[in-house]
Amino acid sequence: MAGISISKLCKAFGPVMAVKDLDLEIAEGEFVSLLGPSGCGKTTTLRMLAGLDFPTSGTISIAGRVVNDLPPGKRDIAMVFQSYALYPNMTVAENIGYPLRKRGVPRRERLAKVMDVARLLRLEALVDRKPRHLSGGQQQRVALGRALVREPQVFLLDEPLSNLDAKLRAHMRAELIELHRRIGKTMVYVTHDQLEAMTMSDRIAIMQGGMLQQLGTPADVYERPANVFVADFIGTPSMTLLEGTLHQKAGQWEVRIGSLMIPLPREHVAWTGASDALPVTLGVRAEDVCVGETGEPAAVKLVEPTGHENIVLLTLHGLVVTARLGADVRLRPGEAVRVAFRTPKLHVFDRAAGTRLNSDGPPRVAALRGLQSIA
Amino acid sequence: MTEHGTKSVGATIVAWTVVLATIFPLLWMAITSIKPQQELFRMPPMFLPENVTLEHYRNLLENTPFLKYFGHSLVIATSTTLLVVVLGVFGAYSLVRFSYPGRERIALVVLSTYLLPSVVLVLPLYLMMVKVGVANTLLSLVIAYTTFSLPYALWLLRAFMASAPEDLEWAALVDGASRLGAFVDVVLPQALPGIISTAVFTFIVGWNEYFYALILVNSDSARPLTTGVMNMLITSFNIEWSLLMAASVMMSLPLIVIFVFLQSHLTRGFAASGVKG
Repeated sequence: MAGISISKLCKAFGPVMAVKDLDLEIAEGEFVSLLGPSGCGKTTTLRMLAGLDFPTSGTISIAGRVVNDLPPGKRDIAMVFQSYALYPNMTVAENIGYPLRKRGVPRRERLAKVMDVARLLRLEALVDRKPRHLSGGQQQRVALGRALVREPQVFLLDEPLSNLDAKLRAHMRAELIELHRRIGKTMVYVTHDQLEAMTMSDRIAIMQGGMLQQLGTPADVYERPANVFVADFIGTPSMTLLEGTLHQKAGQWEVRIGSLMIPLPREHVAWTGASDALPVTLGVRAEDVCVGETGEPAAVKLVEPTGHENIVLLTLHGLVVTARLGADVRLRPGEAVRVAFRTPKLHVFDRAAGTRLNSDGPPRVAALRGLQSIA
Repeated sequence: MTEHGTKSVGATIVAWTVVLATIFPLLWMAITSIKPQQELFRMPPMFLPENVTLEHYRNLLENTPFLKYFGHSLVIATSTTLLVVVLGVFGAYSLVRFSYPGRERIALVVLSTYLLPSVVLVLPLYLMMVKVGVANTLLSLVIAYTTFSLPYALWLLRAFMASAPEDLEWAALVDGASRLGAFVDVVLPQALPGIISTAVFTFIVGWNEYFYALILVNSDSARPLTTGVMNMLITSFNIEWSLLMAASVMMSLPLIVIFVFLQSHLTRGFAASGVKG
């Protein structure tokens, strides 16, 4: 089985802990993204997987074999670097064939494999060129080719699309998804771009401060963020986070934020660790803010049209709330509106611990519930 | 003619004037070496010879120890170059890639030794050579030239090693190369212009150096061309101009050949390192 098992992995650079107690199980053939902001430990984790950095403690197993002490070349992995790391003194064919040359594969067999990979990646016409004569997308494909050619158990990809322009990035994203589907190998993909992670991954490991914040499917991390960091990090525009206190009234939980009272869902939700007067952070996704005839009075602060939708900043009882509205909804700054939240889709976090309180997922079809002012 | 065109013609004239002024002593040297003895001191002097002769070259090769000195210089310059390039390449790589206490300080100390006037080092070096028993040998000159070529080499190569992306080495390691393999396959080709610049610089130092050779070697068994030619052709009473010019031409030839073949690498090397040649 060519999965990856990471157990209690730590990496310290002097007094700085880059990775802390990381536990991660990646199944064979799975595409897992390590996602997080700069300095969260995702690249350090990938480098330890590759053998380019040694763990301070903990174990890494690839295909059931502990690889902590194995050099990179003996781990049966391939890596694509952010910079592509193409050897500038070698042609495309020599670059792709380099891993085979280092393993002593005979020249004829090597050339055949290189041409197979070049054909797969539509690089046949470029095999005699040096990397400096290739476009960014072509260089990226050569780097992929070098990783593919020796058929490793695991592919490690370190932000391979970040140097491409937006259009090419979208194209290469689709190519990578297709490639993963075709070869079915385990892939670990490091990125700080949540769109890449959300669109390509089977599961996403979100990291912050060297620690794993949440491991789940793209739908999991979006719809059920484990803590305030994940809630804030995932989603564009970011989730609106409002600080208030939790109260129970006649068996119904509600969050009070200043003069605003927001009833919480009663059904399908288990409230773990909830208690009366608990300071909480309430999270509302932009698409769960409804502007219409009912709800609390609010004012439009800013409208950001993106073409297919409008991102609208609203002032509600002195709070700023972000809403995602259709492109056909025409609003002007200063306009008075009424606002309601899709209550079953609200997210409630313990403010001190930052952890999620509503532990069950909301129903896919959420009913609208009005907000109420506290009289 | 446009203003741009006038400027361009002016710049060309200035450039050619500088080139001719620079090249004139070399041309005069080459022409003098093929003039017969009676034309050397003719007044007014003639630029081109009326008769061409290779007599001085034959005389130099057959009747003087020129070839012996030439061999000594070749051994000294080549050995110094090899030693400096090998030590410089590994030293510079270490300064760039490995982290150890005092690394930056070492780099700074290395540069400061290059700034020392060579005359300061000659006496201590001479005493050391005598003490270890290598005075008056080719080895003494190889050691001496290495001491003042190596700091420059380290400094130049360090810039090249630093400019080779570390990702390339990591990629080679993941692709199955050993650390040495990655160094040879990936780092060395990146540093090639720097290595060539260093090698040429060191070879020129080893080939042309006069002062240390004069102090450290005083026997024909180890005398290089610079002091050898001076010793055999220039005395208190006479200067053998014709032989001296022929010797100078032959001494310049290896350097000219090297420059012609490695010119593009040298330009790239010095430009990339920000060092003026």
